[in-house]
Amino acid sequence: MRLFRLLTLRSMRSRSLRFLLSAFGIILGVAGMLSIQATNQTALNSILNLFESTSGRAKLIIASADSDEGGFSDNILGKASTVEGVLVADPLVIENTDLADKEASTQLDISFFGASGGGLLVHGIVPALELRTRDYTLKEGRFLSEDLKEREIVLVESFAEDEDIRVDDLIKIITPNGTKELKVVGLIAREGPGKTNNGSFGVIPLETARGLFNRSNELDQIDIVPVNPNPGTSELAELRANLQQEIGDDYSVTYPSGQGERMTQMLQNYQIGLNFMSGIALFVGAFLIYNAFAMTVVERTREFGMLRTIGMTRRQVISQVLVEAAFLGFFGSALGVGLGILLARGLTSLMENLMSQELGAVLVTTNDMLFSMSIGVGVTFLAALIPALQAGRISPIEALRVRGKSKEGWLIRYGWTLGIVMLGGSVALLIINPFPYDVQFRLGSITVFGLFTGATLLIPITVGIWEFVSRPIIKLIYGSSGSLGSRNVQRSRLRTTLTVAALMVGVAMVIMVRGMTESFAVDLRTWIQAYLGGDIYVTSSIRLRSDLERRLKSVEGVYEVAPLRYFEVDWRTPAGDTETINFMAIDVIAYSRVTNFVFSSEQVDPQQAIERLSAGRAVFVSTVLAERYNLVPGEIISLKTRRGLKDFEIAGVVVDFYNQGLVVQGSWEDMRRYFNIKDANTLLVKVNEGTPASSVQDRIDVQLGDRYHLILISNDVIREQVLNLMDQAFRMFDVMALISIVVGSLGVINTLTMSVIERTREIGMLRAIGTTRGQIVKMVLAEALLIGVIGGILGLGTGVVLARILFIGMTTMSGYRLTFVLPPEGIIISIVIALIVSQVAAIAPALRAARVRILEAVHYE
Amino acid sequence: MPVLEAKDLRKQYKLGQHLVNALTGVNFQVEEGEFVAIMGPSGSGKSTLLHLLGGLDTPTEGNITLAEQSLAKLSEHKATLVRRHNVGFVFQFFNLLPTLTAEENVLLPVIIDGKNPRKYKERLTNLLDLVGLLDRRTHKPDQLSGGEQQRVAVARALITEPAILLADEPTGNLDTKTGNSIMELLRRSCNELKQTVIVVTHDPKAAAYANRIIFLRDGDIVEELRSGQEQPLSDRLRNIMSTMERLES
Repeated sequence: MRLFRLLTLRSMRSRSLRFLLSAFGIILGVAGMLSIQATNQTALNSILNLFESTSGRAKLIIASADSDEGGFSDNILGKASTVEGVLVADPLVIENTDLADKEASTQLDISFFGASGGGLLVHGIVPALELRTRDYTLKEGRFLSEDLKEREIVLVESFAEDEDIRVDDLIKIITPNGTKELKVVGLIAREGPGKTNNGSFGVIPLETARGLFNRSNELDQIDIVPVNPNPGTSELAELRANLQQEIGDDYSVTYPSGQGERMTQMLQNYQIGLNFMSGIALFVGAFLIYNAFAMTVVERTREFGMLRTIGMTRRQVISQVLVEAAFLGFFGSALGVGLGILLARGLTSLMENLMSQELGAVLVTTNDMLFSMSIGVGVTFLAALIPALQAGRISPIEALRVRGKSKEGWLIRYGWTLGIVMLGGSVALLIINPFPYDVQFRLGSITVFGLFTGATLLIPITVGIWEFVSRPIIKLIYGSSGSLGSRNVQRSRLRTTLTVAALMVGVAMVIMVRGMTESFAVDLRTWIQAYLGGDIYVTSSIRLRSDLERRLKSVEGVYEVAPLRYFEVDWRTPAGDTETINFMAIDVIAYSRVTNFVFSSEQVDPQQAIERLSAGRAVFVSTVLAERYNLVPGEIISLKTRRGLKDFEIAGVVVDFYNQGLVVQGSWEDMRRYFNIKDANTLLVKVNEGTPASSVQDRIDVQLGDRYHLILISNDVIREQVLNLMDQAFRMFDVMALISIVVGSLGVINTLTMSVIERTREIGMLRAIGTTRGQIVKMVLAEALLIGVIGGILGLGTGVVLARILFIGMTTMSGYRLTFVLPPEGIIISIVIALIVSQVAAIAPALRAARVRILEAVHYE
Repeated sequence: MPVLEAKDLRKQYKLGQHLVNALTGVNFQVEEGEFVAIMGPSGSGKSTLLHLLGGLDTPTEGNITLAEQSLAKLSEHKATLVRRHNVGFVFQFFNLLPTLTAEENVLLPVIIDGKNPRKYKERLTNLLDLVGLLDRRTHKPDQLSGGEQQRVAVARALITEPAILLADEPTGNLDTKTGNSIMELLRRSCNELKQTVIVVTHDPKAAAYANRIIFLRDGDIVEELRSGQEQPLSDRLRNIMSTMERLES
């Protein structure tokens, strides 16, 4: 304890700036890790809570098996009610509508989960059964009466407040039969079922719903409340199986949380990327800790030598360093946890934008904090281990050396062999990659370590070559003092190595982030250009009427109108499992006139593929599905339709990011024939060439806007929104990269300051023999420039490989078949950053060197 | 029983491709309370000999017995402990810890040994008094002159009452007057505390403080001078200088 207080604490205090800078690395790593974990957990919990709270006591849901459209006959209600174990079979009719006198929204709510135009979601219910399924917290008025034909509605309080609606008001809603009036009889709290559709939700009597929306004898969903309020997994599975058997295969019996799980899966890819980045941040932090401790050991060589001479054992010396590391780790991790909680708030807010969903309070558990702290302390400890062992190996004779030049460790002298192996191994793993995709990604993380360490170990042996090659350029910039300065990098290869490595990591992070974001951006832009083909996007918060397409075509200036319809469909995977994906139905001819398909392979004859699609019983599959299940054109896939399982030939593979790529495209005729769906939910409008799209949009708005309750948005605006969303998603990665550069630059300041202090006598001598202060400054700047050049180029090399690793990992896990792009400006920016950072970081040490007083310096010891 | 005995000490180094014989069979003993100076030209092996005597390095052949312990067969860890308890070091460049005060630097060997420094309060005060730094005990090294720093180093070397005190060019970094004061201090520790002192030096004036001067050349002892302190300094110096001239010719 005494030794700790006297030696370790005092030493840390005397190098407090270095201590803080080193701590910054761990703070960054721990904060990144905790904030990402907390945000992921908050998002996950929020989604699952949402579905659990809106489903109430219902443990199972019966819906139509073929698609989520059109409903099913209510004659199975009786069958479901009689199954043993079922307490309540609660029928629902579900309709999208909107307030008739409300102006249509002028913008879409775009998120990871798609686009929505707002509106009011209405459930037609049997009050007596519904109240046995869900708890409604009545804030004002009363709940619905038992009369199922009453024209009354209960709304969510927040929605009513926004729309200035009170109890007993009469509101008008839009129905297929025109606007209809309902009396508001009650308001419920925005909790439990009140959270449905973000509060834009209301309940009306079942028969009223059927009457208003032409849904005679139809239901959309039956919620099942079991007799046992808390059934175990197997009991619930048994009930599910019994229900399925009773009602038949035309219907699906699912768990309410299943919907939430699908949403969380959509987030998965983004979370993978963030988790990877937090791992890298921790690695960067560890690397910088190693850097700092290695430099400290070098600085304190004579001190450690002296301590060994007066009887300090190796173990005691090692303990000194490790105790300092533990202290630093604890301190840094504690601050990291604090920063992580703050970061989590910001990241959660960002996630809310991306999901277009309120997530509630940030969930940071004690376990998460403790885990992050233990990782931070552990990583710091491990990072300081090698320097600690090196300190233990300092011989007592080091204390007696006059000049204090220590022998370079074997790692510096022979480490290049290990470096070549690690670098070669990492690159080989990247290229060959025979493992399954989840192993590949984990290996990717190890490869990152191998890459940085391998490159670092090659620096000592190559520093001479770098200097030799760069010398003429440095001499050109800084004159003869410049070549004096550049030679200094060879004097302490360990110190040069550590500094170059710190800068290399920072530059590599920038390249990696830019490479990854640009790769996604390029393909996303291409896809969004095609997906939002045409000029005007037309949708509504209510069901689009079937005559809208014809009316749009008749508007002056309109060239073509392409209807789109998205609906969920189950397909049988090659492994025999059932998976829910999206079906995008298009009028193939109209679609081809408005926009173009983005085929993934150049070998496909687009014309032939389009013709095959038009012919029917054919689909285009997305690249994600094709990658995941090894699907190629010509193969057959099975989709669950209203007529049972039907085979569809794969006519082509297309790039499609919708629904995280889990989508197939099919013809309008197939949709009508096999899924019994007849209407569009979106229309893409292309205007005549030379006609301004805005004037056509205005015309449509005037002629059809109110009548059809349309949302009209220019495709340019939507593209902008989507790309902004993507920018926001990647912003976090940019911040991480920027912080790495800053921390790397701190390493440069450190090195050069040490270098100047060590060479005080030499600098004094140079000044004594006539070197000007300006020349001394140039000497230091030249040394820094060379460090910047080496760090920048190595950072570029490792960054490109890192970007590839992350790219392969992300695309393999997600299934997106993207094109790897390394933006030239990203490369230039990285090199420039390295050079500028090295020069800026060298200013203070250079000025310090210039201010050395000659007489003091020549007597300096 | 001599406090230190070196028997047939040999030390070889590899310098690049060449083998250097730094010591070629050194034999000598040091009795308790003796003040020995080791002199010789550059490359004579005096620093190597000092390193071996202090257990900082191991001989290629031969043995050293220090405080009745043979250093030859000891593990590195045990050698460190022997050094901790039996050897005090004074370096040319002081080697004080800049973050500790003068008295904390003096107490460092005791603290490393895990002992309670409070038990050394009296000895600390006596030593600081001996070296003339009682009023500077709370100063840090950057607040002390070179001479004062070296005094602190001497006090540090004496705090554990070591069997021997080894000094490597203790005056090498000091002016003549300050250097003399350090040598006087070492002389006093020898006289008053019965401390055995071995000094490596190239400075005849520093060597003149010793009772016994061992001359090394080419890795072996070639001459030895003994003189009492009652002999005038000028005579002692003359003997040393003439011996050095003779050896160099």
